[in-house]
Amino acid sequence: MSKKFSLTFFALLLGTLLFAQAPTGGVKGTIVSRTDRQPIEKAKLILYQGANEVATVMSGEDGTFLIPELQNGMYSLVVQAPDYLETRVEVTVNDGYVKNMFNISVTGVQKVAELEDAATDEQDMDDSGYNDNPTVLFNANDVFTNIAGYGFSSVRFKQRGYNSETQEVYLAGVKLNDALTGYGPFSLWSGLNEAMRTKDSSVGLEAADYNVGGFNGTTNINGTASAVRTGLRGSVMTNSALYRLRLMASYATGMMDNGWAVALNVSARLGGNDWVDGVYYRNFAYYLGVDKKFNDAHKLSFVFFATPGQRGAQNAATQEVYNLVGSNMYNSNWGYQNGKVRNARVRKTHEPVTFLKYDFTPSDKFNLSATFLYRFGKNGYTALDWYDAQDPRPDYYRNLPSYYFNEEEDLKRNNALKYAWANEIWTHPGLYPEYTQINWDRLYNTNYNQADGRSKYVQEERHIDQHDVNFAMSGKWRVKDWLTLTGGGQVKMNRTEYYKKIADLLGGEYFLNIDNFAERDFASTPYMVQNDLDYWLANGAAEVVGKGDKYGYDYYAHVRSLSVWGNMNFHWGNLSANLSGRIGYTRFWREGLMRKGLFPGTANEVWAINAKYGTDIRPVVDSFGEVVTSAGKSDVVIKPTGAIKANVNYVIGSKMRVYGNVGYFRDAPSFQTAFVSPRTRNTITPNLRSVKTFAADVNWQFSSGGYNVRLTAYYAKIKDQSKVMSAYDDIQNAFSNFVLTGIDERHYGLELGFRIPLVVDGLALRGALALGRAEYTSIPRMMQTIDNSAELISYNGKTLVDVPYWAMSPVFKKDADGNYPTDATGNYTWEVDKWQRHYVPSSPQLASSLGLNYFYKYWFFELDAQYFAGTYLDMNPLYRTDFATAGPDNTVTPLEIEYMTAQEKFKGAFLLNASVGKSWYIKYKYQLGFSLNAKNLINNRNIRTGGYEQTRIVDNTMGNTRYYRFDPKYFYTSGINYMLNVYFRF
Amino acid sequence: MKKYIAIFAALVALVSCRSLKEEWQPVGGTPKAPAEWDTYDVSGITFTTIHDLKKMYTNQEWINLTRAIENADGKDHYIGGVIVFDDIWIKGQVVSSDRSGNLYKEVYIQDETGGIDLKLGRGSIYSEFPLGMWVYVNCKDLKLGAYNGMPQLGAEPDNTDVNEYETSYIDPQAIIDMHVKRGPKGAPVAPAVITEQDIKDAVSAGFTGELWGKYVTIKGLKYSKEVFALLYPNPSLPHKSANPENRIFLSEAQWGIDTWGMSAAKTVEYARSGVWDTAEVGSGRTRYGAGSILKTPAEVLPAGGAVLESFGPDKDVTYKDILIKYATANYVSHYFKAGSTDIQIRTSGYAKFSDEKLDPDVYAGTSTIDVTGILSIYSGAAQFTLVDEPAISVKVN
Repeated sequence: MSKKFSLTFFALLLGTLLFAQAPTGGVKGTIVSRTDRQPIEKAKLILYQGANEVATVMSGEDGTFLIPELQNGMYSLVVQAPDYLETRVEVTVNDGYVKNMFNISVTGVQKVAELEDAATDEQDMDDSGYNDNPTVLFNANDVFTNIAGYGFSSVRFKQRGYNSETQEVYLAGVKLNDALTGYGPFSLWSGLNEAMRTKDSSVGLEAADYNVGGFNGTTNINGTASAVRTGLRGSVMTNSALYRLRLMASYATGMMDNGWAVALNVSARLGGNDWVDGVYYRNFAYYLGVDKKFNDAHKLSFVFFATPGQRGAQNAATQEVYNLVGSNMYNSNWGYQNGKVRNARVRKTHEPVTFLKYDFTPSDKFNLSATFLYRFGKNGYTALDWYDAQDPRPDYYRNLPSYYFNEEEDLKRNNALKYAWANEIWTHPGLYPEYTQINWDRLYNTNYNQADGRSKYVQEERHIDQHDVNFAMSGKWRVKDWLTLTGGGQVKMNRTEYYKKIADLLGGEYFLNIDNFAERDFASTPYMVQNDLDYWLANGAAEVVGKGDKYGYDYYAHVRSLSVWGNMNFHWGNLSANLSGRIGYTRFWREGLMRKGLFPGTANEVWAINAKYGTDIRPVVDSFGEVVTSAGKSDVVIKPTGAIKANVNYVIGSKMRVYGNVGYFRDAPSFQTAFVSPRTRNTITPNLRSVKTFAADVNWQFSSGGYNVRLTAYYAKIKDQSKVMSAYDDIQNAFSNFVLTGIDERHYGLELGFRIPLVVDGLALRGALALGRAEYTSIPRMMQTIDNSAELISYNGKTLVDVPYWAMSPVFKKDADGNYPTDATGNYTWEVDKWQRHYVPSSPQLASSLGLNYFYKYWFFELDAQYFAGTYLDMNPLYRTDFATAGPDNTVTPLEIEYMTAQEKFKGAFLLNASVGKSWYIKYKYQLGFSLNAKNLINNRNIRTGGYEQTRIVDNTMGNTRYYRFDPKYFYTSGINYMLNVYFRF
Repeated sequence: MKKYIAIFAALVALVSCRSLKEEWQPVGGTPKAPAEWDTYDVSGITFTTIHDLKKMYTNQEWINLTRAIENADGKDHYIGGVIVFDDIWIKGQVVSSDRSGNLYKEVYIQDETGGIDLKLGRGSIYSEFPLGMWVYVNCKDLKLGAYNGMPQLGAEPDNTDVNEYETSYIDPQAIIDMHVKRGPKGAPVAPAVITEQDIKDAVSAGFTGELWGKYVTIKGLKYSKEVFALLYPNPSLPHKSANPENRIFLSEAQWGIDTWGMSAAKTVEYARSGVWDTAEVGSGRTRYGAGSILKTPAEVLPAGGAVLESFGPDKDVTYKDILIKYATANYVSHYFKAGSTDIQIRTSGYAKFSDEKLDPDVYAGTSTIDVTGILSIYSGAAQFTLVDEPAISVKVN
């Protein structure tokens, strides 16, 4: 809300200066619809001074209103209109003037309330390839994000190509991005749409009121009880792409005469969907907020909420599998158990958040707020684990036809009979669910078979349980009419426990806490295979674990961060400017809670162990000569952080605005990229650097008479990012971690959003265009570790390996016969035809939408056509190294470079979406309405939204001259789907 | 007002009445645990003995048919074995386990007439087919073949230019399930104690020898102080007999190897200790001389050739160091004698007990052992595979 809010605020200031002629104080203005700027008649305006209702008026036919004869003082103006969100504006009357508030815009209910729900929920769906964030922060005031926030979500469009971690998300003024990954925390309140509705958002680099903000939008969710829409509300939603049913109810008192406000919100999201089998929701949500306003100056807010529940996840698959089963919606995560669907990968969470916020408003020139916020609880994610047993995943590559026959002779896959059988099975998934889905019967029966009761298969639950304590303060001081200072600070203390536990023994009696991978290599040295060496030493045997017991790994991530910030806002006539800065630091370290046999400890620790137990355990030294430890505290990483931002804003007339932003940011690397293998050891990633970002944009905005246009040009340069990937490595035959450092990106492009009224009353053309480039620009470095060894993996003698084909790959010239030309001596000429750039993956470089919307007597109709292009597949670094292009024979050829290093581009995609809705206002008291949205009307089921390359090289390449890739895995967007929401309000 | 409430209620009913659909099942929680699998119903099935099955290896009609099928593309792939064309069932008890890692993708079953190696193309077979379990095998469309004389039941081989093996692994899982059925869980079979004469008889019987693939105990084996191991300096380069430059044989002496097998780490340890410093690179007629392990490929191979180039940056590294750099686990065969008959005990480097040492007195040749495991035939000689760790399967006298 900040942009419009500040506009209104400046308009208000301006008004104070220019229209201060009336002898008696008052407030006047025009109520308009935010989307089309049309005046709204019969809006109810209630003016409060503190908790006291001072006046109530209705807006006229032209939307104007006047509340005369007011004393000097601070007031709150509440605007209520059927079909629009209740809006509250603070207004000050001084020196006996009638304050002209010009246009007070209110937002249509359908637009935000229901569509945004869908967008947020949709992002919440997937666990495998993505995080839970909306890809575009929804900003009801901004014509571009208004369209992109909802419409572009089905292809996972990322605004300006930035990672979602760069969106800053605040709750009650506290920055709540995940302390370890930076991800937005939206899943903490999904399903509490009513309670979390009121928010301030800014786009891109725009300045925010509650902090400096970032370069990819900033949003602050108010979250307090008095911000929840008053009254009793209920809604029922059914949806065919996510979960079948959502029930939601909320009740809020608003700020009552006695200074109290209470709000409640509960919801349930249940069921599966039409498209992906095994994906289901069993999610609940509850929220309680209480505000107490002691007087005009003091207000205290308390909030407690959580969204307990579970949901089944989807998995990406190779195109071979999708083609065989005849659907791009295949999900390998589930199977039948006793005839019922069971998903092996279930996200189970209950992470309550509570905060206490204090607002101090001694005058209209100064206010201060402070929030103490605590997040805690459990966050688990189940998966299958197995010991000495067949890989239970149905689409494991050795179960597929391609494993038995491949035209590429080098792969030596040539068994027609087995191919035929595998093909028969996979092309008839309905007949053979025991092979094409998880075969729970087999897993259980294998466990039943074990005479000793030791489970071969278990379901594990990986936990990331946070204790996140935050304190944030901010203040705003209007020093002069032309100068406003804001500032504040935030302290964060986070301790997150990473561990896994047994969720289900699947019919067995126990599991052993040992490391499978280590056992394969070090079976004859029993201490080395222990996940919990201390237990083994004390008890003489590996730990027996049962349901609910921790095993495998267990460690704390500790993060501490501190920052202070300030912002100066200048305002002279039509010109305003902001200058802001933030400075602080982040510290983090790992604390191992399980001593792993592979990395038993420092020389002293090991000496003490040997002295105590009479063992012959040896410390392990890595490639840098450092002793590798798994237990106890690691070294502490300290990184300074900071940001500086400037913004200039010029209003031309009353309809046009030109503004520009520039910023430089320095952010700490995330905890997860700072350790080479956080599950097993304390070793810190070498060459760990802070991420540096320079970003700038210029914008032009026009808004009048129903026209609303924004055009933006942006540029950003991001340096020194890092990334960690974990995968099984067929060459090393071990579970392996790839650390990529020094990833640089460049982002630039244009953003256009517009809304143009057409000749018919209520009809408008609207559109959004994002045309940009988000490209890699550096040669990052890769390091690989395997969980079994302290040593870094060496490629041609190097452990820190350049990834020369990360940012681009060559396409070599070919002769008329399609061969690579050679010179007289038979050597390749290596003439490059062109260099192909590589792009930041999983988001289209071109996203566009054009549509019509029509409002008529509380009906609305919308039809949007969208086109997306230039989405690329996420790359793995291994394929872009000289090692991979050299192949087993250590000889590079043009073919190998082209084959291994190219980045896959997805086909463009066309989508057609439509919505219809209507609400009935009954006796000005009750409201009943519905909205129906249908997406992907042409039922396009071939739209890839993302995926990844497997970090594997085919291993049976002995005697070959080149390496072969594993097939990549993809995600697709759903075919035609609908969402119907019916709501009732008292 | 009532009208609106009715509409609202109707809509609630509409969206919530799909509870019968599968998508609601997981919402209700974890389903009940599945029942234990029934044993396969064999009523009406007539079983053939394993011995009678082995005899079909020489069924000329089947040989002709199999050859015709495998060479259908006009190339001469066929090297031996028969596809089972009749509806033949065998049954036997599981006598081997891959638990210790000394066997991989195979399980031995035996009846009173003999044993056979069943090539199931999957790991951890013991988890599903534990020792003593009865197994029924429908042999129709499987292939009966030999590996260096040892009878095996597998699937048809891959269609390579010239087949390397007569059979291939039985997989994917659906094919295993189609052919291999579970019977009752029996008690583990007790090993038959056999004599040197039994071994001699079996060797002379060849493919149909009753003992091959059976679980047996042989007493009084004496160590011949001789090992056999074949090392590949860079295992990712070609290392079959056509590439002697990437092979090192350790044979006709003990080579300092006092463990049953050698893991990758143990291989490195042996190599570093210098006990192999006199070893020779090469095989067959191409040999590079005793001690060539301390030379580099560039020193022993013709300059500029593709073979030398394939060593890439390693061509100036000694073979010993190449071996250390790319070390993998390796098989070791220790030679023993039952009376005057040679028996090699072969142990995989991937066996969990591979790095366990032979008893010092056995290693010195002063004590004999009684061993229990699977007897097989390899190129006309008896070979022995330990199923359990030596502490159980090897008794020092």
